[in-house]
Amino acid sequence: MRMTAKLLAAAVVAAVAGSTASAESIYAPNLSYRTGPFAATGIPLMNGQRDYINMLNARDGGVGGVTVDFDECETGYSTEKGVECYEKTKGKAIVTQPWSTGITLQVLPKSNVDKIPILAPGYGFSPMADGKVFQWAFNAPSSYWDGASMILQYIDSKDGLKGKKIAFLHLDHPFGKEPLPFLEKKAAEQGFELLPIPVGLKEMQNQSAQWLQIRRERPDYVVMWGWGAMNAGAITEAVKTKFPMDHFIGVWWSGHDADLDLVGEEGKGYKSISWSFPELDAPVMADIKKHVVDAGNSQSNEKEMQGVFYGRGVVISMILAEGIKAAQDHFGAAAIDAAQLRWGLENLDVTEERLAELGMTGMVPPFKTSCADHTGHSGGWMLEWDGAKFVKVSDLLKPESEAISALEVEKAKEYADANAPWPMNEECN
Amino acid sequence: MFYRTAGQFKTSYTADQALFPVRQDAVLLIVILAFAWIIFPLTASEFTFQTLLIPILIYSLAALGLNILTGYAGQLSLGTGAFMGVGAYACYKMVTLMPWMNPIVAILLSGVFSAGIGVVFGIPSLRIKGFYLAIATLAAQFFLVWLFEKWAWLYNYNASGAIQVPNLEMFGVYVSGPQAASFTQYYVVLAIVSLLTWICINLTRGRPGRTWKATRDMDIAAELIGIDLMRSKLTAFAVSSYIVGVAGALFVFMWRGAAEPNLFDIPLSFRILFIAIIGGLGSVLGNYLGAILIVGLPVVLGIVPEALGLEIKSATVEHLNVMIVGGLIIFFLIIEPHGLAQLWRLIREKLIIWPFPH
Repeated sequence: MRMTAKLLAAAVVAAVAGSTASAESIYAPNLSYRTGPFAATGIPLMNGQRDYINMLNARDGGVGGVTVDFDECETGYSTEKGVECYEKTKGKAIVTQPWSTGITLQVLPKSNVDKIPILAPGYGFSPMADGKVFQWAFNAPSSYWDGASMILQYIDSKDGLKGKKIAFLHLDHPFGKEPLPFLEKKAAEQGFELLPIPVGLKEMQNQSAQWLQIRRERPDYVVMWGWGAMNAGAITEAVKTKFPMDHFIGVWWSGHDADLDLVGEEGKGYKSISWSFPELDAPVMADIKKHVVDAGNSQSNEKEMQGVFYGRGVVISMILAEGIKAAQDHFGAAAIDAAQLRWGLENLDVTEERLAELGMTGMVPPFKTSCADHTGHSGGWMLEWDGAKFVKVSDLLKPESEAISALEVEKAKEYADANAPWPMNEECN
Repeated sequence: MFYRTAGQFKTSYTADQALFPVRQDAVLLIVILAFAWIIFPLTASEFTFQTLLIPILIYSLAALGLNILTGYAGQLSLGTGAFMGVGAYACYKMVTLMPWMNPIVAILLSGVFSAGIGVVFGIPSLRIKGFYLAIATLAAQFFLVWLFEKWAWLYNYNASGAIQVPNLEMFGVYVSGPQAASFTQYYVVLAIVSLLTWICINLTRGRPGRTWKATRDMDIAAELIGIDLMRSKLTAFAVSSYIVGVAGALFVFMWRGAAEPNLFDIPLSFRILFIAIIGGLGSVLGNYLGAILIVGLPVVLGIVPEALGLEIKSATVEHLNVMIVGGLIIFFLIIEPHGLAQLWRLIREKLIIWPFPH
């Protein structure tokens, strides 16, 4: 009975969509940054996101028969513009994709009031994983603390952590400080020396002081939490000071092809942890090429499309589309609203089989979210620069979920207390 | 015609020296106040509140503070952003240490802290002038932002290093934090901005304002006629920093809701300096006109293509926006180098003698 109803609904939707050329659509804005100081890293991500949704619209007529109205609102990575975009789009948006830690911090407390889910894949505030506290925020498939945990495990598996000295080169900004509580905890537990080296926003391009310190301290490894111009600055400086590149590991936002292209062969061995990988032969890439690029609907180019960031943009839009689909299936409605999408994002189950269906095998590890876990902790791969592109050099690494979730709960509670009255979701356990 | 002054006779010195010697000016102000206090809040959408009304008022107030120092007392300052930060962090510390405190009292008190810091950094102004003083205030800018980053006590040891505005209640209504309605916040901002503007108009027309202007125009001459330069300069720094500090507290508590240290960095100082310069140095009205141009216009321009139904990419809109606003700034400065306030002054004069110009 339900099945027939569903089929009937689908048929009606299809008929309506066919006759009036998509009268219904889901509005999913993206707070993009194609301008401003971080544009170089933003453009490939935005293009990947946009192209995947456009591909779904062209190939399948959207998600579940409704077109996804994927709109961009330009922020230039400025928090002020971000808030402007948020206010502009929140009336009909079913999702907020804030794209900067500053904007995320600003929008996060409002999410309980405005009731629009925040989708911040692989960025934002790590304690957002605690779905009981952050009912409306999602950072699937991996949080910064997951990233830090995976990097430490990788180092441990290579050289052992005990007694090592690890320099933590980070942007002196909420984003860069994000993994510090976790790293400090691990340093105490596993007996390695953590040496935080902040890079001010004004020093991003000129890090000679920081690298002088690194040369003097002779750390065994340098772990980098960098973004934008800081990555290129650090990598060129590392090459200049002849730091062994294979002992230099960045977070996923520090694994941008264009930054490594600057040094080419000399950057060989540089590593970056990542929860996404650009599988160039994946069927989804062929579909994007066929339905979007060949139709002249893409703003990207061939070189950019082979990069890590473009592939990551595709994965991010896949997470959104899967969330929409999960919500549609559960509520039996095609045009879902923000609250229904929240349910969808909370019940994501991206298995290996599902990835194969989507044609994205190997582009992201399988993950599953739940009411209490808004991250999914997919794990990731260690990527290495081979002089021309990034390649996978590890099996799937998994974060130490227990240590992380204890810290998540603790920090989420702190946040909720500081922002009282803060509504908790008592339904999940 | 609209500005006919015929028949408005002044029969006493008080009447001649009144704030509005021409009746139409008073009427115009009443109309503007009616819009600000009644019509806008009743008709504005959430978007208008958050991107136009509240920010324009707050930026105007910050520019007003700077204008007291730079426009009236002639002391060039590049540290406005940092002084706003002092106000914001002071307010944050007060409401987190003393949660019982009335938020409006906290906002008004936070200016006291920035006034204190402003006076300290104003001391070099007794010895140095012009560009050299600008460099001294630039030092304040860099030092204070560095302090906001490094002194973890200021942000209550948050891991992210940013401050988050808590929900604060006043008489059972939330006035700040995510639970507060824009409508309430607008009225709080409007009330504080109106009050401080009223005080500033009176200050600048009264004795302190006259000593500031004398200091600005020629400090040696001012000293010769018996003005205490130290007092004049330091009061200018104190009053200016107080207003800027209150603006900073409003900026974070009534609008942004969260702030990281680099928000108060030099681009913010420049932005406010531009508002003051384009609006008109040495004028109160100019700050509002400047803020409308610099803060309001880009927002309005940004929604034009969509309203017209044009298919332009949002990044292109942003590029166009920057070009148009930049072009307009140059245009206004060419037709009137003394700012928008002077432009209005000229228009008004022309209107008074219209349609029979000499």
